[in-house]
Formats: sequence, C-alpha cells, structure tokens
Amino acid sequence: MADFLSQYSIQRWLEMCPQGYLEDTVYGRGADESEAEDLLGNETMLDAAITATVQLVVGERCALAASSGLVNAAPDYPSKRFLATQTLDEARHVEIFTQRLYDLGVKKDKLEDEISDRANPHLVKFAEVLLEKVEAGDFIAGVVGQNIVLEGMAFSVFEMMEAGNRQLNPKFAHTLRGTIADERRHVGFGENRIGSLIQEHPEKKPEIERMQEEMTYHMLATFALAFSESPDEAIQSNGDSPEAEWHGTNLATATPEEMEAVLAETVLGEFKTRLGRIGLEYQSPKSPV
Amino acid sequence: MVIADDDDFDPHLLEEDDFVEEVQSFEFWFGAVEGYLVDRPYGRSPDTPDPELDDTRRDRLITTLCNYCVGETAALEGASGLVRLAPNHHAKVFMATQVVDEARHLEVFLRRLTDLGVVDTATEIQKRANPALLDFKSSLLELVDAGEWDAAVFAQNVILESMEFTVFRSHAENADPVTAEVLQGVISDERRHFGFGENDLGRRMADDPSRRPRLQEVKEQLDRIVLSVFEGALDDLDVPVADRPRLGQEYLETVERLGLT
Repeated sequence: MADFLSQYSIQRWLEMCPQGYLEDTVYGRGADESEAEDLLGNETMLDAAITATVQLVVGERCALAASSGLVNAAPDYPSKRFLATQTLDEARHVEIFTQRLYDLGVKKDKLEDEISDRANPHLVKFAEVLLEKVEAGDFIAGVVGQNIVLEGMAFSVFEMMEAGNRQLNPKFAHTLRGTIADERRHVGFGENRIGSLIQEHPEKKPEIERMQEEMTYHMLATFALAFSESPDEAIQSNGDSPEAEWHGTNLATATPEEMEAVLAETVLGEFKTRLGRIGLEYQSPKSPV
Repeated sequence: MVIADDDDFDPHLLEEDDFVEEVQSFEFWFGAVEGYLVDRPYGRSPDTPDPELDDTRRDRLITTLCNYCVGETAALEGASGLVRLAPNHHAKVFMATQVVDEARHLEVFLRRLTDLGVVDTATEIQKRANPALLDFKSSLLELVDAGEWDAAVFAQNVILESMEFTVFRSHAENADPVTAEVLQGVISDERRHFGFGENDLGRRMADDPSRRPRLQEVKEQLDRIVLSVFEGALDDLDVPVADRPRLGQEYLETVERLGLT
C-alpha cells in the first residue's frame, strides 16, 4: 500500500497538476480563450449551456463537501494527504464552472438563485445519499460513493461534453480536459485504496452496494430528466463533425434519447468494471427510471 | 473577478467584495505558490547544502519537527472540517487551498524527519509530542465538530497560525540551510492563512459585535495551552528567555487588532 500511496503525494500532485497541465491556464483554460460566439448569440443554446453548467457546479460542490469531509475519516496519513489534494481539485472545479456561468452571462448576485432554480432534483438526491455516508464518517462507503460512483459519472459526462465541444467551443473543451485529468487521478485512488479495505471489511459490502444502487437510480433519473427537458448543449453547439464521435455515437447528429442511452451505457459499463476491481458487484436500481 | 496575472497586481487596491473574492480563490493561491514551490521538491532546492548535524542538534531538530507535524496535522484536520462550515463558497474555496497547504507542510516535515534518519515517523511523533500541543489539537477539533465557524477559525487561523508563524520565523533564522528553506515556504503559506482569519473574523465582528464575547471566551480557554505550547517550542529551539516576550508580541498584536485582549 505504501508504494502505491507514494504516487499520490502532495509533491507529485504539485508537479502533475499546478506545475503540469494547469500551468499557463486561467480558470482552467487559455488566457485568450473565450466562449464560442455562436453559443453566446443564440438564446436557446445559451440557456441550455447555463443549465448544463449549473449541474456541473452542483456535482462539484457535492464532491468538495465529500472529499473535505473524508480527510478526517481517513485511516492513514497518505490517504489524508491525497484527499487534501482532491479537496483542492474539487474546489478548483467549483470555481472554474462557476466562472463559466459568469462567462455565459449569469450575474454574480443571481448565481445562487440560478443554481437552485436549475439544479436537477435527482442530482441533488444523488448528492444527499453520498453526503449522508460522509457525515457519518464512513470512509469506505464515502470513498466508493465519491471516487468510484460520483467521479466515475463525472468522468464520463466530462468526456462526452469534451468530445462534443472540441471543435466549436475549444475554450470549454480545454476547461473540461483539465477536470478529466483530475478525475482520472481520483478514480485511480478510489480503486487502489478501497480494494484492500473492502477485503479487510467484507461485512461492509451489502451496505455499500445498497448505496451504489441508490446513487445509480438517481444518476439515471438525472440523465433522463436532463435529456427530456433540455438536450445537452453539446448536441446544439456542434455541426456534423467527426471529432464529435464518442463511444460510437456522433454527438453532433444524435437524438437526445441516443445521447442519454450512450451516456448511461458508458457510465454503467465503467461502474461494473471499477466495482469489480474492488470486489463489489454492480447492483441495478430496483425501480426502472 | 480580477485575474492576478500581473506582477504589479495588488489585491489591496480592490473594493472589499472584489478583494475577498480575489484572495480567496484557487487562482490567487495558484499564482501565490508558483513563485516559491517551483523547482523545490519537498520544499527544498536539490542544490541546497545539507551539512551533517551533531547528535545534540540533530536530536533537538527531530523533536522540533515532530511537534511541527502535530501542529500541521491539527491544521489539516481543522481546515478540512472547516470547508463544510464555511459560510460562503469563496470561504470554502479558500479553506480548500489551506487544506492542501497544511497537507504539504505535513509532508515536507515528514520528509525532513526521514532525511534525518527517522524510520518510523509515526512512533517518533507520538513519543516526542508536546502534551500541550495535543491539548490544543483536541480543543480545536472540538470547536470544528461543534460547527462553530468563528471560534474554530479563531483557534486555527489566528492562534495556531500566528504561533506557527512566530516559531517558524524564529527557527528559520538559526536553522540548518535545508530546514531554513523548507520553513520559508511554509511561512509564506502561514501568512496567507492568518491574513484570512484576521480579515474574515474582523469583518464578521464588525457586522455583528455580538460574536465578540464567544471569541473572548475561547481565547481565555486557550491562553494557558498557548503559553505552554510556546514555551515548549521555544525550549526545543533553545531560544534565550530574554528574547521570548518579543516573539510572543506578534501573537498578542494580532489578538489586539481583533479587539480580543
């Protein structure tokens, strides 16, 4: 364990992240990059982009609360130090996505109103399930919920949005690439650290699997509501571009239903693989969404 | 928000709300640490000479570093708990930067202990920890667990950080070159942390003076512990008794600025 955790030191994080892929960025993008003119000039697209970005802020606020709460629950100092870096990563994500809301025209004094008006209620429930475990000081369940389920979902959503925005909104795609690099590290820690703890505490499995099932239910409900109410901004902001291909689906031409399906399939596939690696079995939500 | 990408940029020239937003952001932290952490893995330049210390000096330094680790662990656990309590998102982001700073301090001090030949750092820290510092840690974490933002920020960002700032500065003046360099990086962070504490509490007490009695009460409860921690740290550093009142002055001045004498 010690060798693997040495890869998650503060020093390594400083070299990889602030002194690595974030060097010369401002709010996660190039100093001279700005939102696409086509997006800013189209009211429908702008509205969809604001709604989509609000969900990112909500998810990252949950991740900030969870990772900071898990520092004190961590059973060893290397894990505390890693979670300290994750706390700051998540705070950065909150900041850059909040900044994007300002870039899209949201007024500072209206920020909290916009967030509470547009937050997907299922995403809020998803966050509550996780934060309940964190509040209880349950490190194993908290890390599975945060670093496998939440981060796994974020990872796929960000990848899809990055692919969809790469050509027509390079500024936002650039912002997303930095967060994807962070999420990859977080998921890696979750998988590596939790496997051994699950082996030591097999009695925790049923409770954690129940949490995963509940979080998955709310995640799928989040996707269903998001795509039924307002198609993802990626579909509206891209032309017919081969660069917008993601997991066999062209995001520029896909219908909202096709996008929801590819996203859900991708995230669930990732869950099954990652949960299997740490010795847990994926649980399908009981109620169909 | 104004982006701090200009060398001449001075956040103090901003209006109050913009100032708070600026200095509590990840971007500000990012710009601040870049200057003193680049090319210094584990807080030290690979070229800094590291002469061998005699046994007495080495043993004294190990005791001092073990206690720094206790203080930084208290600060790490305190700051991470404070993210949840922060009254607004700017304060949450600032506390998140402080979490990583404190974790870095713990890491660089542990690394220095390893450089000095300590194999089992956890056992050594437990053996050499000043009981008064452990009491301080418990008191701080009780305030965090009780959800008392003002009192916990006072204990952590005003009392603990100004104690550390004073002790680290005094130590850096006489330390071996590597320890002095590591301490300089830590001191730069501490300045930011107690600046936040003083600014945040100052504004909150100006807005609502009824907050003051509770902080006064916390100060009185912690005064005895703070004195013992100071004494222990300055003994370990072999600071002459005549110099100690001058060192304690910095802490007293900070408390006085908050009107809590």
